[in-house]
Amino acid sequence: MSLDTIVALDNVNIFQSRNLILSDVSLKVDKGEFVYLIGRTGSGKSSLLKMLYGDVELVQGEATIAGFHLNHLEEKQVPYLRRKLGIVFQDFQLLTDRSVNRNLTFVLKATGWKDKEKMQQRVQDVLEKVGLSTKGFKMPHELSGGEQQRVVIARALLNDPDLILADEPTGNLDPETSEGIMKLLFDISSSGRAVVMATHNYSMIEKFPARIIKCENGKLVEMTAGAKMPAE
Amino acid sequence: MPAQENNIGNRRLRSSSISAIVSISLVLFMIGLLGLLVLDSKKITDYVKEHVQLTVFLLDDAADADIKSLQQLLARSEFTRTAQYISKQQALDSLKHDLGEDAVKMIESNPLPASIDLLLKAPYANPDSLKKIAGSISKNKIVREVSYQRTEVDRMNENFRTVAMVILIFCGLLLTIAIALINNTIRLSLFSKRFLIKSMQLVGATRGFIRKPFIGRGLINGLYGSLIACILLSGLIYLIQREMPELKQLQDWQIIGTLFISITLFGLLLSGISTLFAVNRYLRLKIDELYY
Repeated sequence: MSLDTIVALDNVNIFQSRNLILSDVSLKVDKGEFVYLIGRTGSGKSSLLKMLYGDVELVQGEATIAGFHLNHLEEKQVPYLRRKLGIVFQDFQLLTDRSVNRNLTFVLKATGWKDKEKMQQRVQDVLEKVGLSTKGFKMPHELSGGEQQRVVIARALLNDPDLILADEPTGNLDPETSEGIMKLLFDISSSGRAVVMATHNYSMIEKFPARIIKCENGKLVEMTAGAKMPAE
Repeated sequence: MPAQENNIGNRRLRSSSISAIVSISLVLFMIGLLGLLVLDSKKITDYVKEHVQLTVFLLDDAADADIKSLQQLLARSEFTRTAQYISKQQALDSLKHDLGEDAVKMIESNPLPASIDLLLKAPYANPDSLKKIAGSISKNKIVREVSYQRTEVDRMNENFRTVAMVILIFCGLLLTIAIALINNTIRLSLFSKRFLIKSMQLVGATRGFIRKPFIGRGLINGLYGSLIACILLSGLIYLIQREMPELKQLQDWQIIGTLFISITLFGLLLSGISTLFAVNRYLRLKIDELYY
């Protein structure tokens, strides 16, 4: 495995409860790579992402994510794996009981930051990166869907992760806002981070072309460049 | 961080805690009431038992020195609360007082024996101890007879046993209900935060880091609940003492203080442990399991 490889899966079988969702999954994602994960609803995209961030246990096969071997990963190591990742969800998963600033500060405190000034500076930096530097005092419910998703991306960037996992990040957003989010994710990718994004939004894939992997019939299939997108 | 956002967060936190605090305080108030009942029932039982009388009738020809020595011996005994000598004349006066002057007029000489009336300490006022004590006293050479109301003592002890059993079952039942109620209240209040807990896990927070503020809040809720319960109980005790002053002697502030401390510790412990279990449950769940 090269030093640039962030995700390396070798003959992995992915189960949800006792059901086999995807079999013989082999995948390599390098630093700075942008990968779309497509497929029908229930085809296993989210299960694959869940396995990558340690919510689904790896039972069969070999997997290494950001230097963590998932085969031997103990429950107490999962938080440390997640600190190397940034996770973006369709439904945002922000802490709804506190402001944007406190959402972001929570992540820093939870991941071992102590210096108050440095934390404030880091929060300001990531909010600026996503264009929300003036919205830190707002509660999540006071923001639009697009703004909330930007906060989630800012949160994902806090600890300078090697890999961003995005599970349908534009699923709840209008086309214009979705485009903004896609631009942001591509900027992040071009700064050297790998991005794996599950999506049904094929028009966005056409606008922002990148490597595509399809979940189909329980397998992971690499799509060739220029392949025709399935109808949405 | 602006004060406004802190206020919003604090207001939300407060309102979500209020229902938990109210439930905890009401349940602890009920437990405190039961505690008072148990403590007072023990005092009432002891009060009644300490009025069980054992009468040691003495021979008419007993020497004063022997009588005095026996009285001192009985007074020093571990089972004795009081030992009072009743002379023949005092016994006759008492009879006259009870039956009237005319009823005892026809008696030419005083047939009543002198006696020593013993009041026992509560732990010895049971049939077995009474039998042993009476047996050992009757061996004394100046003792004619030792008498006590055997049937009443048997019945009294039987009744106390029944009441104690009922109180014990009631205590067990109420404690179980209390634990279940507080546990359920805390689990329900945390159920609404299950996605919040999961989000915290997804950003890389360890279980310990997530647990800490929840348990802190649980302990604070337990403390507030206990304090409210203690205030309610103090009010109730004050009302009882004002309305029924005769019960005042049953109130021992040292025991009540111990009861309040026990309620507070119980509230803290129960709230803390219930919160710990509830948070752990949500920490163990996978994302998909949060939906059912």
